[in-house]
Amino acid sequence: MSALTFTLTIQPNQRVDMSPLVCQALQQRELSEIAAMPLHCGKKTLRVDELFTISGSDSSHIIIKNSFNKLDFIGKNLAGGRITVEGDVGAYLGLGMLAGSISVVGNTGLYAGAEMKKGYLEINGNTGDFLGGALPGNKIGMKGGLILVKGDAGARVGDHLRRGMILIEGNTGDYCGSRMIAGTIAVMGTTGQHVGYAMRRGTLLLWNTPHISASFNDCGTHTLAFLPIIFKAFATLNSRFAESSTAFNRVQRYAGDMAEMGRGEILVKH
Amino acid sequence: MLTKLTGGTIYDPANGIAGQQHDIYIQDGRIVNPPTADQAIDQEYNLQGKVVMSGAIDMHTHIGGGKGNIARMLMPEDHRADPVARTHICRSGCGHAMPSTFITGYRYAEMGYTSCFEPAILPINARQAHMEMADIPIIDKGGYVMLGSDDYLLRMLTAKKDQQAINDYVAWTIQAAKAIGVKVVNPGGINAFKFNQRKLDLDEQNNHYGVTPREILHVLATAVKAIGVSHPLHVHGCNLGVPGNMHTTLDTIQGMAGLPMHLTHIQFHSYGTEGDFKFSSGAAQIAEAINKNKNITIDVGQVLFGQTVTASGDNMRQHANHKHANPNKWVTMDIECDAGCGVVPFKYKDQNFVNALQWAIGLETFLLVDDPWRIFLTTDHPNGAPFTSYPHLIRLLMDKSFRNDMLATLHPEAQKMTTLASIDREYSLNEIAIMTRAGAAKLIGLKDRGGLSAGNWADITVYTEHSNRELMFTKPDYVFKDGTLVVLNGSVVATPWGTTHTIKPNYDASVEKELQSYFDRYLTMKLGNFKMSDDEITEDGRGHITVHPLAGDVA
Repeated sequence: MSALTFTLTIQPNQRVDMSPLVCQALQQRELSEIAAMPLHCGKKTLRVDELFTISGSDSSHIIIKNSFNKLDFIGKNLAGGRITVEGDVGAYLGLGMLAGSISVVGNTGLYAGAEMKKGYLEINGNTGDFLGGALPGNKIGMKGGLILVKGDAGARVGDHLRRGMILIEGNTGDYCGSRMIAGTIAVMGTTGQHVGYAMRRGTLLLWNTPHISASFNDCGTHTLAFLPIIFKAFATLNSRFAESSTAFNRVQRYAGDMAEMGRGEILVKH
Repeated sequence: MLTKLTGGTIYDPANGIAGQQHDIYIQDGRIVNPPTADQAIDQEYNLQGKVVMSGAIDMHTHIGGGKGNIARMLMPEDHRADPVARTHICRSGCGHAMPSTFITGYRYAEMGYTSCFEPAILPINARQAHMEMADIPIIDKGGYVMLGSDDYLLRMLTAKKDQQAINDYVAWTIQAAKAIGVKVVNPGGINAFKFNQRKLDLDEQNNHYGVTPREILHVLATAVKAIGVSHPLHVHGCNLGVPGNMHTTLDTIQGMAGLPMHLTHIQFHSYGTEGDFKFSSGAAQIAEAINKNKNITIDVGQVLFGQTVTASGDNMRQHANHKHANPNKWVTMDIECDAGCGVVPFKYKDQNFVNALQWAIGLETFLLVDDPWRIFLTTDHPNGAPFTSYPHLIRLLMDKSFRNDMLATLHPEAQKMTTLASIDREYSLNEIAIMTRAGAAKLIGLKDRGGLSAGNWADITVYTEHSNRELMFTKPDYVFKDGTLVVLNGSVVATPWGTTHTIKPNYDASVEKELQSYFDRYLTMKLGNFKMSDDEITEDGRGHITVHPLAGDVA
């Protein structure tokens, strides 16, 4: 059985809500039924086949081809299966996903992996603000699972992060790990201003020394036994995080944010 | 155009009709006498076997004013979960705990409600409250203006101004805010909060002004009666939600010495301190006091389980409750020299002892108060539950076995602390019609609403009799608003605009002299801008104003 493939034929001027096209919603549906499903595009409602040509039949693996940056809500509440996107995507990629995996070849917009509960999200290009964050007004961001970004991320990575791991090979914008409740964010590149702003608990693992805010305390250098274990967990990833030369166990530790609970830490490779 | 509603079973307590069959005629928006034989009927609805009541009136529901918007901003997740798409006649919006204005109107109408009253219009926010209510389609609106914690009144009391001066100030404020009644919230307590008091009992003095809640209640109730407001002083008492507050409530009833008073969301004020958890039901004693004191009316403020948001002017109590906020985010704020505001999201849980007992206390109150003309069906929307849960509440009141089945699923300790299971009373359709129609119209002083006799505006709701009262009251067959069919089979089919109910009590024009200097000295708004004009409600062409007669006037 070949993967269920949606190939975008036109680029509409308005944004498209792709949330109906997730694996669990397409099980045991005929192609003709899927073709007739409604998609919201701006204020219009379009049929799926007005935007895409559809082929293949395996709804547990969906491929979206020719994707571009106005396709929002891809993989929303995905409950299992696999989605592969060839091209860029819009905002809210994998919003609230429950299980399964999503892989994007290109770049993504705002709120990728926001409030995801479990599963694996891989972004090969760059991503926008609020990666793994919480929707505006909500109190809890990503709650579990793993996000891997091979390019750069925007501001507010892991805003209100509750649990789970965010790995970034490139750089991040300002306020990385802001308002973190718990969880782990690792950044190989550089970070912007206000790292760990108002974080309560959790770990930021950095390769480069950031600008440390006044509300973080320098705790000196440490050799931490859990670091080799965590790097070993990365070994199966298709990523620079998996390379054995990447691992280290000696870090400079900063505790904070003292303006909040203060039980979080920024660990910088020493 | 002459419309005939044929053969319905009529429940019209305003005219002593309880379940008789007769025809109703509608012409030019009003109910009319049966026409002469030669007059042609333009449209006829066959209502054989259907239950016909006047449109329901919610006499206490927070549908306008700043706190609603704060609640909306505070709870975006609640809105995301209930999006409402536009249709060819309805606008889009969102629903649940604090729905958007348009959805508020549609959902009230879809349940057969045709008038709603916002109980807490702050004078300084009156313009915003009326503008917001102007965006609520179909239903009629009105409001009670909030006094009692405003610095001007407290200054008057400290200065020992005579009752006449206070009457003038109250009447002037009602007119300035386009209200139909007066409400007091935690009398003086909102003000005391600003002077760092965190509780204020009935006889406790405000640190700054030296005035007690009892004095405030007394002068305001006296003023309301003296200037001829039909609706008695609408009182949200002291110590809301505090275990043991039933004594404050009983004391408040006694302290009124026979003056008319409406105690609102009394469920939140009927708590004792017995039992292992020091929290118990005071409903029996409260109900007894209400049965005895004919000057008192109440609405219940029933708690129903699920997510909601509490929005109140009582910043003192809301500040104390903030630790229960769920989700954990809340707002309390000052509103310049006028009052305050507190918004705290709440999730009432059936397996929580206190919440389960609150549920039982509300129902006990409903069932133990004898006179349905003096008790009103509310959840204090959205504080006890969103208004969309009214049909469920009606079923709880009308169906003993359903009520007891629900009770059996609650927190076991709470079940032990309530006498609810032993109460056999079931509300009749006629009693529901009194509570939600005729009684409410009489209480507020609406001269031509809430009844089905000739001359009344044709606000009419038609239900299909069903043993499941929740289903019956969720989806009326027909709802007429001012004679226009607005709801068919539970869905909106037309969206006219309701009126704004007001009164215009008289006052001595010299009252503005002192107010002028007070406004210039202390407030951010000029006196001339503070007063609303009728045009502000009517000039867009869709709102209009109905002025009701004062008590004692010949209608």
